[in-house]
Amino acid sequence: MASNDDPNNVPRRDVLGAAVGGSAAAFALAVVYPVARFVEPPSRPSGGPTMVGKLEEFPLDGAKMVMVDDRPVLVFRLQDGQVRAFSALCTHLQCVVAFSAERRQIECPCHRGVYSMDGQNIDGPPPRPLDELLVTVNEGSVIVTAAR
Amino acid sequence: MSAPDDQQPAEATETAPAEEAHPGHASTRPAAPSVPSPPVPQPPAPQPTASRSLAPVPGGAAGWLADRLGWDGIEAGLGKHRAPRRSFFFYLGGITLFLLLVQVASGILLVLYYRPDPAHARESVEQIIGEIPYGDLIRAVHVWASDLFVACLLAHMFTVIARRSFRPPQELTWLSGLAALIGGIGLAFTGAILPWTEVAYTQARVGSQLAGRTPFIGEWLRRFLRGGEEVTIGTLGHAYGFHVAVLPATLTLIVALHLFFLFRKPVVRADAGDQETMPLYPDFIVHQAAAQTGVLVVIMTLAIFAERPLGPAANAAQSTPLGSVPPWYMLPIHAIVRDAPRELLGIDGPRFLIGATCVLGVVVAALPFIDRRGSKITSWLAWFALAALLLLAVHALE
Repeated sequence: MASNDDPNNVPRRDVLGAAVGGSAAAFALAVVYPVARFVEPPSRPSGGPTMVGKLEEFPLDGAKMVMVDDRPVLVFRLQDGQVRAFSALCTHLQCVVAFSAERRQIECPCHRGVYSMDGQNIDGPPPRPLDELLVTVNEGSVIVTAAR
Repeated sequence: MSAPDDQQPAEATETAPAEEAHPGHASTRPAAPSVPSPPVPQPPAPQPTASRSLAPVPGGAAGWLADRLGWDGIEAGLGKHRAPRRSFFFYLGGITLFLLLVQVASGILLVLYYRPDPAHARESVEQIIGEIPYGDLIRAVHVWASDLFVACLLAHMFTVIARRSFRPPQELTWLSGLAALIGGIGLAFTGAILPWTEVAYTQARVGSQLAGRTPFIGEWLRRFLRGGEEVTIGTLGHAYGFHVAVLPATLTLIVALHLFFLFRKPVVRADAGDQETMPLYPDFIVHQAAAQTGVLVVIMTLAIFAERPLGPAANAAQSTPLGSVPPWYMLPIHAIVRDAPRELLGIDGPRFLIGATCVLGVVVAALPFIDRRGSKITSWLAWFALAALLLLAVHALE
């Protein structure tokens, strides 16, 4: 029978302690992991192309805000007939930007960011241009495709 | 010739209170003469006043309750503690706890009518204000208590740093207090989202986006706060769940731990004299109750006379209102993210700010381990930081 003084002998108490501790850790993990995964929201794929309205609903040489995949989008109908869409979320901290018809620019009301009408960041804290979205006009319907 | 050992106890007994207060002095005391001298009358050393008992007399309902609660034991436990006699700062913790209780009580009432979905959230708050008897009062009390709660939490933390009360052995009290501060700000943040007004929507969007710049966990945190990729019904659901269940339960646990640590390692020594301290029970607790009554009067006055308008409903397809500003406690951060350069040290401005805030938070949390003796520099830095934050808050409103 091995003695307790033998360095190669692991006392039964230590083995049981490790087993109980390991079981408790495994039990805690089994509880915490599903809870952590549960509170983390699932990723949703993009909704694909979204019909945002008829062309005539968009003011000529102006902008209109629409929702695409739960995101606000500014759709411009330019003088030359071109239709462009930009994410209306400021690239700084995602305040919803507004088109100023008077100053012909896009402005962020929160932190004084300014973008040109083609979405380029020209003043204030925005670090990059607004995200542009793909626009197609099909039989008078304006269709915007969001890319995630 | 040194004094024989058998003569020490008599003198030690006389000077016992002083030695307890300054144990290090015992070894420097001059040796007693070997020839016994006639005893010199000494004025009695000041003894701290024992706490007075408020225990009910045996018999009757109060006596029965006291017996079942073990009131004698509770009273004896409280009787060992003392509190400063003239320090307003010492009341801040109790006032903060009281404000939390006011929020819990008024919040439980509001939950009876509030509807946590974007289509009905603002409408239900409007109904509480306009149709439910005393609904406007209950809602205003909740909103004002929330603001005062955050203010008292911050003031409490500031005074603890400025007075260097974080020093060992207060490490766990300090850390649990910081956890309570984070929980309290979380409570205020989620609560401000619930009415689903324009302001609430903007706060949810900008707050979660800012949190998304946190190093390492930012993206996860952003999605978690939003309940998904975007600010939608999921955001409101998450904010509601955390505001009414997760955070109050967590805060209750944290506050209980905070109080336990405080009683385990009191800030004021039990042998402190009557000049500067008083018994915690009943004296300080009665004073604290009076202070809390005053706070309740302030809340009710504000709730009745200072209107907190609800604001227009959130509309995701509308631009953020011009000049939108966050809640007052976020104004310094608003000023920095608005006016700071786009990049700092080659890092995106908001990311740099949040990263720096996290580093600062770790340093503040580690104060009892870094500044173990409580340097005056820490105190001055606290005052400097307060002045800077106030200036930034004023600047944010320009």
